[in-house]
Amino acid sequence: MSERAKLLRQIQEIGFTMDDLLLYLDTHPLDPDAMEAFSQAREQRCRLTKEYSGKFEPLTLCQVCPDTSNTTGTFTKYPGQKHFTWSDGPLPWDNQGGV
Amino acid sequence: MWTYEKRLQYPVNITKTCPKTASLIISQFGGPDGELAASMRYLSQRYTMPCKETAGLLTDIGTEELAHLELICAMIFQLTKNMKAEDAKAAGFDAYYVDHTSGIWPAAAAGVPFNACEFQSKGDAVTDLFEDLAAEQKARSTYENLIRIIPDPEVREPLKFLREREVVHFQRFGEALERIKTKLDAKNFYYFNAEFDKDVKIAGV
Repeated sequence: MSERAKLLRQIQEIGFTMDDLLLYLDTHPLDPDAMEAFSQAREQRCRLTKEYSGKFEPLTLCQVCPDTSNTTGTFTKYPGQKHFTWSDGPLPWDNQGGV
Repeated sequence: MWTYEKRLQYPVNITKTCPKTASLIISQFGGPDGELAASMRYLSQRYTMPCKETAGLLTDIGTEELAHLELICAMIFQLTKNMKAEDAKAAGFDAYYVDHTSGIWPAAAAGVPFNACEFQSKGDAVTDLFEDLAAEQKARSTYENLIRIIPDPEVREPLKFLREREVVHFQRFGEALERIKTKLDAKNFYYFNAEFDKDVKIAGV
């Protein structure tokens, strides 16, 4: 599995942890363990998405940073050129098969 | 408002073209218990919900359903993107092919187009939450029916993930209903409409 695929899988896993905790906290807003788990997951997700958007394409608009993101120059029409990186990367619905 | 995250909630990597399977799972996009109806149901009901926490839960589950809709569409796309006209004909996907080619369009497995009548927004918190609980169970049953008849593990894994989410959503809606009931008259929860009859003061709502 490539570094991209590994990182994306980690983001999917931690993202899902947050999705599930979010719904639990919607109905249990006072649960201290769930709150702690949520904030740990949030921190980890921030770290991973920052790493991902630096090396590859941005996953959210907030991570779009022309000329500094996608340092690996993958999945882009403009490698090494200052450009708007939002359109970099594969389409989410394409079979990425671990690339 | 919403923002988009350029990834799927769960990985979908289908390698075998199979319009037959696409014609079945399309029901979870545009069918009576599909993800489109689910998302629109919760995102429509939330405005008049008298309990802020429940309105928030409807927003969050309605948002997750959009991600599920995207998963189902990604599966249909991957199952049909290399389809030839003959494949569509052999798989009984030809009627869909005539109108939509390989385009993704919301319909039920039996070909009935998506219809807003698939879901309700009744303007009554108790009524709507029971509708939501039933909807999650119906979607779970549909996923189970699909998992029983689809052998390809590349299709089954995301379907199993989606089935599990129906179970979790059912649990959360059940908790929301209990929360609403604690604010109502315990002698008769169904005496009035907690959303509409504003003259009847409900404790803390």
